[in-house]
Amino acid sequence: MRTYTGTGVTPLTGLGEVVWYAETVELDDPPEPSEVDPDAERERFESARETAEADLESERERARERVGEEEAEVFGAHVQFLNDPQIADGVESAIGEGLPAEHAVHEAFADSIEQFEGMEGRMAERADDLRDVRDRLVRVLSGSAGTDLADLPEGSVVVAERLTPSDTAKLDPERVAGFATALGGRTSHAAIFARSLGLPAVVGVGEELKGIEEGNEVVVDGEAGEVIVEPDAGARERATAAREVETRSEPVETADGREIEVAANLGTLAELEGAVEQGADGIGLFRTEFLFLDRESPPDEDEQYETYREALSAFPDGRVVVRTLDVGGDKPIPYLDLPESENPFLGERGIRRSLGPDRELFETQLRALLRAAAGEGRLAVMFPLVSTVEELEGALAAVERVAADLESEGVKHAIPELGVMVETPGAVFLAEELAARVDFLSIGTNDLAQYVMAAARDDERVADLHDPLHPPVLRAIARSVEAAHANDAWIGMCGEMAGDPDYTELLVGLGLDELSMSAVTIPAVKGRIVDCETDAADRVASRALDASTRNEITETIDQ
Amino acid sequence: MERVVEIVPEAGLHARPAAKFVETANEYDAEVTVAPVEDGEGEGVAASSMIAVTSLGVKGGEEVRLSAEGEDAEAALDALEEVLSTPEEGDGE
Repeated sequence: MRTYTGTGVTPLTGLGEVVWYAETVELDDPPEPSEVDPDAERERFESARETAEADLESERERARERVGEEEAEVFGAHVQFLNDPQIADGVESAIGEGLPAEHAVHEAFADSIEQFEGMEGRMAERADDLRDVRDRLVRVLSGSAGTDLADLPEGSVVVAERLTPSDTAKLDPERVAGFATALGGRTSHAAIFARSLGLPAVVGVGEELKGIEEGNEVVVDGEAGEVIVEPDAGARERATAAREVETRSEPVETADGREIEVAANLGTLAELEGAVEQGADGIGLFRTEFLFLDRESPPDEDEQYETYREALSAFPDGRVVVRTLDVGGDKPIPYLDLPESENPFLGERGIRRSLGPDRELFETQLRALLRAAAGEGRLAVMFPLVSTVEELEGALAAVERVAADLESEGVKHAIPELGVMVETPGAVFLAEELAARVDFLSIGTNDLAQYVMAAARDDERVADLHDPLHPPVLRAIARSVEAAHANDAWIGMCGEMAGDPDYTELLVGLGLDELSMSAVTIPAVKGRIVDCETDAADRVASRALDASTRNEITETIDQ
Repeated sequence: MERVVEIVPEAGLHARPAAKFVETANEYDAEVTVAPVEDGEGEGVAASSMIAVTSLGVKGGEEVRLSAEGEDAEAALDALEEVLSTPEEGDGE
């Protein structure tokens, strides 16, 4: 048994047989120029380019369905690289010099790849994109299909130096037990795809990964970030046991009987099925932005109604918490006049827009929601970025007004459960007053950490500060929980913290009633809840709240 | 004709915004070039080339000078300005 360490990107473990995947096709030396017919090569290149474009379009479609709109757009970039005039010129001149099409493609890409490789950060990733496009063309031209990642034997573990987005999107989570790569980090495309697909995965293992051979039995532990080759009985058992806890379709409780709702965060309807499969009890955060993005005019009331009904019907016994439109300077919507702001996160966003320039949109959304609440299922609606009582009262008044309109029109409707997202320090300090006016609170830890720590979430230079384990954030959470319970409101958490199984015991101890997360982490978190004793969890939470540094809190959790 | 536009997507002319930009440039019957403003009166690169556009490494908040010639020049500039002024989709909480 040998263990390789890398970065785990999903809290999942898989066991299987290694299939080594080499992305690049090795080319033989080119024939003599006199043996090459340039016109024929031009035609071969043109037809390969068309085939590659058609393939990219179908992969874009597949990624859209399986991984989501945003990640699928990487294929849009690939199409542009494929059709780049610089590449076309390079290929043309290499063919003119007597090279066959596949060699010409290699040559045409070489300079650009080198140029991007020398650049920093995200720019260097463009070199990967170019290699991906080049290899796709060469594969089509040389007729070498290579290993078909879409058709691997069941129980395969894919091991590769790197996996491109198109490679990763082909992996079928029903058949593939996981993957490990030498290169890549937590935010690489491969990692993001792994999380969306629910695949055990370890990336960034390094060159040592090459010590693994085709056919070796391996455990891929995406939580510990380990690849175990030829695992002993113990390691194998742990891997299969970890797989067994994977789905609990029923709600769970702690070992001593405290029920904790475990729900999914959802960005599009396409993710509904995955949420049900991973055993979500309901939806704890249904982002409605996707309904409004990428279109020329806002969705009408009926379209929204149908969407909310579809989500509700996927969870006949669970609760579906819909967040009203949360846009601001950081999200583009062509038909909205979104302000330019030096500081979009501190600008007009969330409820501030709903009560201001987007009021009409907000009321249409509320009409659709109130109508949807009248059918089967339990609908809840929450308002984002509330930081004053006036804002909440404004939102509640809008609900009443919409209800009165629907009543007078004789349209069937009901008032859903209503709640507030706790994301700003303002909401934390007002948690009592807010909780007294609604049915529930839901803590968005990503924004809460950003605002409490005054550290932008996407600024890597302050990434250390942007962590919910800093005492001020943890105390803000504890304070919100206390305020909710003192006012007979339930309280959930829908930020990233909720989906990290390492924090589950702490969060149970802090008193959260509901945890909502990416579907893929639900089985692991449910597994932790079942093992949790509330006494022990309370002790962890109270030690963490006494701590004055993040390190002390981290130690508390690790104990 | 020319126009100076500030890049709004935070990632700058990076994978997705760049793809959208190039795609849009290719929809019009115009020769469009793009150059970072801070480079002064440099020639700029073809807006129809994804490689050229991304290799500029222009970041969010920086300005570029768009130049267009041809029948659709004005329409192309309008459309490209729109692309560059639209923030990229970020995620929620």
